[in-house]
Amino acid sequence: MSLVNFTTREITCKIVYYGPGRSGKTTNLHYIYGRVPDTRRGRMVSLATQTDRTLFFDFLPIDLGQISGFSTRFQLYTVPGQVYYNATRRLVLQGADGVVFVADSQARQLDENLESLQNLQSNLLEHGVDVRTVPLVLQYNKQDLPRELILSPADLDDALNFRAVSSFSADALHGQGVFETLKGISELVLKRLAAGTAV
Amino acid sequence: MTTRAVEAWTLEPLVKFVKEAGARLVLVMTSAGQVLAQSGFARAVDVMSAAALGAAIMASTEEIARQLNQAPFAALNHQGERHGIFLAGLATGRGRLVALVVYDLDVSSLGLVQLFFEQLAAELQAASPKGSVSKQVLAADFERDLSDSLKTLFGR
Amino acid sequence: MTAESPGGGYGRALDLITRVRGVRGAMLVSADDGIVVAEQLMEGIKGPALAALAASLTTRLRRAMEAAGVGVSLFWHLQAEQGALLVVPAVSGILVVAVAEPDVNVGLVRLELLRGAEAVA
Repeated sequence: MSLVNFTTREITCKIVYYGPGRSGKTTNLHYIYGRVPDTRRGRMVSLATQTDRTLFFDFLPIDLGQISGFSTRFQLYTVPGQVYYNATRRLVLQGADGVVFVADSQARQLDENLESLQNLQSNLLEHGVDVRTVPLVLQYNKQDLPRELILSPADLDDALNFRAVSSFSADALHGQGVFETLKGISELVLKRLAAGTAV
Repeated sequence: MTTRAVEAWTLEPLVKFVKEAGARLVLVMTSAGQVLAQSGFARAVDVMSAAALGAAIMASTEEIARQLNQAPFAALNHQGERHGIFLAGLATGRGRLVALVVYDLDVSSLGLVQLFFEQLAAELQAASPKGSVSKQVLAADFERDLSDSLKTLFGR
Repeated sequence: MTAESPGGGYGRALDLITRVRGVRGAMLVSADDGIVVAEQLMEGIKGPALAALAASLTTRLRRAMEAAGVGVSLFWHLQAEQGALLVVPAVSGILVVAVAEPDVNVGLVRLELLRGAEAVA
């Protein structure tokens, strides 16, 4: 749940990058970390295994500066993608103001994407949140891979984007689409705040 | 030591606790890791990292307790070489909150922290506003501000 | 008087102290963290608060005594309006603590505290 304080004029929002294992959630955060000036970001915290797979979460706080006179900060989290880490995934999802679903565009990963989307839905429900009401954007990552290996954004929209939310093509490793995705979810989250429904 | 509260009702009990328990750093946050008040941190973004980790530890242990059909653990303490870390939940009118306390072992002790934490919990419960926070609408120009902010952040 | 001691040895050490006339309770306290290890206290005595006080003062005293060059503390006695706190640090990092009436026989309590310290060492 976002924290909005009208006395100190501060907004803090929690955004969770969700998706199947190795879809590029941590890579999104690494790219953001690398591009945001030191003064506007905190340390990136990674609770990872020895082989750099996310164990609990990655965390990156960023300072967006003044928005409508409010000092605005975002807390970016990733969840561990592997199926057996569902308990920790559910914990990280608690209190999320917005979700970025990072899908792996490879054709052979389609089932994993669908399974992860269903898992997102059931974990949100466990927190009493309907997936249809939470701000959500989709990112189709790894669109830089050879065409024969991947599905097009249009195909992925057909397969995954039931809510017809904003979707973004991305190559998170090189940064393509990372900024657009963050901007997309930021707008949704703040619009919801502005409407006074998420406070 | 600077003590800062996002929600003003937390300030007085927190200032008192820091002084009495000899705490070095204190965070009061929601169980999702949103900071309501802090003492001793220099940068807001560092506060958020500490809050994310503290809330995660608390959430993990609560989940273990849930799987064991137990009530949530009351408190956790980690004793390091020079510092101790004390993490505990507390009930308030704003829901269940989490406190993270870092103390120097040559200034304070777990016993002192525990003792004054009980007072802090009682005072926060008494001071907390009941019911929901008032809703106000943000200015309509936030989309332009957001766009400018993100451009500044990403240098484009 | 309540008795909550995990081991028979600790219980016996506390028995010796609480047997002295004017003693309201005795505790074994972890010197590093100010936590009660074992206790025999009359109703109404705030064990955790007194344990934290005893450990906190012991730490400060130790530092001041080191600075003054008078060696380590063997026994200290805090006289307050409504009672007294008497403490002997044992070599095991445990403080043997007595909570007493203001007019207790300090010499006798000290003797039993030292015996208690030997028992838990």
